[in-house]
Amino acid sequence: MDSMDFSDILASSIHDIKNSLGLILNNLEDLITNPDNHIANPRQASLLQHEARRANSNLIQLLTLYKIGHEQLSMRVTANNLDDFLDEVVAENHSVCRALELELSHRCAPDLEGYFDLELVRSVLDSTIGNARRYARSRIELSAAQEDGFLVIRVEDDGGGFPPALIGLLEYQPGEFAEAANPGRTQLGLYFATRIAQLHRNGDLQGRIQLVNAHHLTGGCFELWLP
Amino acid sequence: MADAFATKSFLVVDDFADMRSAIKGILISLGVTRIDQARNGSDAISKMQNKRFEVILCDYNLGPGKDGQQVLEEARHRQLIGVDSIFIMITAENAREMVMGAVEYAPDSYLSKPFTKDLLRTRLVKLFERKAHLTKVSEALVAKDPSAAIRAIDTLIAAKPRNLGELLKLKSEICIDSNRLDEATATLEQVLAIREMPWARLGIGKIQFMRKQFDQALETFRQLIEQDANFIGAYDWLAKTQTAQRRFAEAEETLRTAVRLSPRGIGRQHTLGDIALNNGHPEIAEAAYERAVGLAKHSVLNHPAIFAGLAKSKSANNKHDEALKVANEIHKVFPDREEAVFYAASTSALIKTRQGDKAGAEAALAEAEEALARLNETAHTAEHALEMAKTYAGLGREDKAATLLRQAIANNHDDDATLTQIVHLCQESGLNYDAEAAIREVQRDLVKTNNEGVRLIKQGEFEAAIRLLSQAADEMPGNKTINLNAAKAIIMYMERRGVTNDDLQAVRRYIDRVQTLTPDDWRLGDVTARLRKITSQGD
Repeated sequence: MDSMDFSDILASSIHDIKNSLGLILNNLEDLITNPDNHIANPRQASLLQHEARRANSNLIQLLTLYKIGHEQLSMRVTANNLDDFLDEVVAENHSVCRALELELSHRCAPDLEGYFDLELVRSVLDSTIGNARRYARSRIELSAAQEDGFLVIRVEDDGGGFPPALIGLLEYQPGEFAEAANPGRTQLGLYFATRIAQLHRNGDLQGRIQLVNAHHLTGGCFELWLP
Repeated sequence: MADAFATKSFLVVDDFADMRSAIKGILISLGVTRIDQARNGSDAISKMQNKRFEVILCDYNLGPGKDGQQVLEEARHRQLIGVDSIFIMITAENAREMVMGAVEYAPDSYLSKPFTKDLLRTRLVKLFERKAHLTKVSEALVAKDPSAAIRAIDTLIAAKPRNLGELLKLKSEICIDSNRLDEATATLEQVLAIREMPWARLGIGKIQFMRKQFDQALETFRQLIEQDANFIGAYDWLAKTQTAQRRFAEAEETLRTAVRLSPRGIGRQHTLGDIALNNGHPEIAEAAYERAVGLAKHSVLNHPAIFAGLAKSKSANNKHDEALKVANEIHKVFPDREEAVFYAASTSALIKTRQGDKAGAEAALAEAEEALARLNETAHTAEHALEMAKTYAGLGREDKAATLLRQAIANNHDDDATLTQIVHLCQESGLNYDAEAAIREVQRDLVKTNNEGVRLIKQGEFEAAIRLLSQAADEMPGNKTINLNAAKAIIMYMERRGVTNDDLQAVRRYIDRVQTLTPDDWRLGDVTARLRKITSQGD
């Protein structure tokens, strides 16, 4: 037992926490959507749901990073229809956004196909939307397009935008966590997104993320570039 | 679409009552009216036996007993669900790798916990659309008509679909399964021209293997592993290629790496056990069989041969008492299976010989021989013949082993995997039998018989051709090629001279032999289609 690495202990307890969160989320969903349930303050329940989902996606990120660290992560790149995929991501995040009075939508060409690991990119987008929810005034928009030989998936909001220090190309290393002083946006999310982007390769090309402001909406725009 | 929810029957499988009712609640809110629930794997299987479900939502973790993957395997294997049914596997994040190893029976979709009602609705709508889109292809596949399936896919591809990648993948799989290797290659190259995709490259490797271009196949699989050290499918095929090249030590090494990465595949553990035992590594074999027995416990893929392997490896490790215990367990685990008696007896004969129990070994051997004779009335399978030959070799019955092996070679003269196993067996058991020479001889004779049959048919001498091929088929009832050729000769005769009952019965007997041995043999489709044609003309 003494040879057990602390990260292994952490990884196995994360599974337990995730299971508990799963049940909390299921019950919350029922509480919020079931008309027979009368809650004194529905907004409170929605906020709980929002935070529980954020905690859940953080745990998924930790687990995935653990696997990357132990070289246990097997990539499964498939050809995916972007319209279908974004439709699902919107559906998954729809109820929380509605509860927070945010409009969540997506736009992309109906026949756009892209090559990526569906579940990994899904968790990047889920956590990015989770962040955008905290900054958006009224809207979050997802989009996808083919640009310069890359597939670009964007998550935009109509909030105040990213601080200048974060704008541009991001290549986070774990050590830089402390330096990037921005208490609001979680650094784990950006680091995770960077790692997942980099795992996507095509020939000599490698994926990356980029942060810009005022792309289509007025606020921050997270860009995932996949080769 | 709301109608689709209301009319379809759903089965929810989860060992956790709270989870079941949560999912049921979501389904009701989506307008689903017909919902059954199962609390574990066996419960799910018995519900599926009694009723057809159109959508199954099954958790991967089901507590003790079958897991979700085993439920899926059994449902597909026993055809409890059709191709038009939708099987959704619900997983926690930690199931990702476990599930990745499951290549043969993949669910229609994975859903990770926790999920929302909106996601489930969107996913189901997409899956219903997808099934509807592929209706014609599925129908052709059910009818075992690959040509029609490929035509249907080509029609869909021509309409510039949203899911071109998926269609090309499906097409390449059908082409490979039906041995249309040129068309499969063209399809895969179409995919690879757009982008390097590991599954497509693996397909290219499989085709190289099927064409016996083993050096090229080896290189393809090696490169895939170099690019992704966790790509399990590439290891399995690399080991297969190394085995075909009779590089048994390397094949074992490859499989050992593969089971370290993905320990949950029953077939992979079983193959490793077989090859390690033959290579003279009984400790590794015992560990692999032990894991295979554990994994297979609740699986429809469980087989007496796995227990026989475990018993033999234990005995090879000088644990004879334990070995006998395992051999005796075979009857209990497979009470209704004819093969169980055979495997238990042949394994016991071997163990008792090593223990010095001569009389016991003789009795067990006699029982095994009787059981094998009974099994051969239905089908001459290569596995049984090899099992028996191993026992003969272990008991020092060289002449009996040689006779049996010669028969096995004749029954499988063009099945490289079986021939390789025979060679490996002879090498490692020290049997004084030149398998390579016997294979060359049998192959030469059979090619001669076949060519003579073809020549006679070309000259219109059908009666002579049928006589020749029928005689060969009856001498080698386990030889699929010869049986199919005999069937074809009679069919061609009937196409010209009309149908008689005797001829029909003969054709059916030959086809049945092949069907019993390998129901998925790609050559069966063509023969049964031609038979259907001439019998329906008479109506």
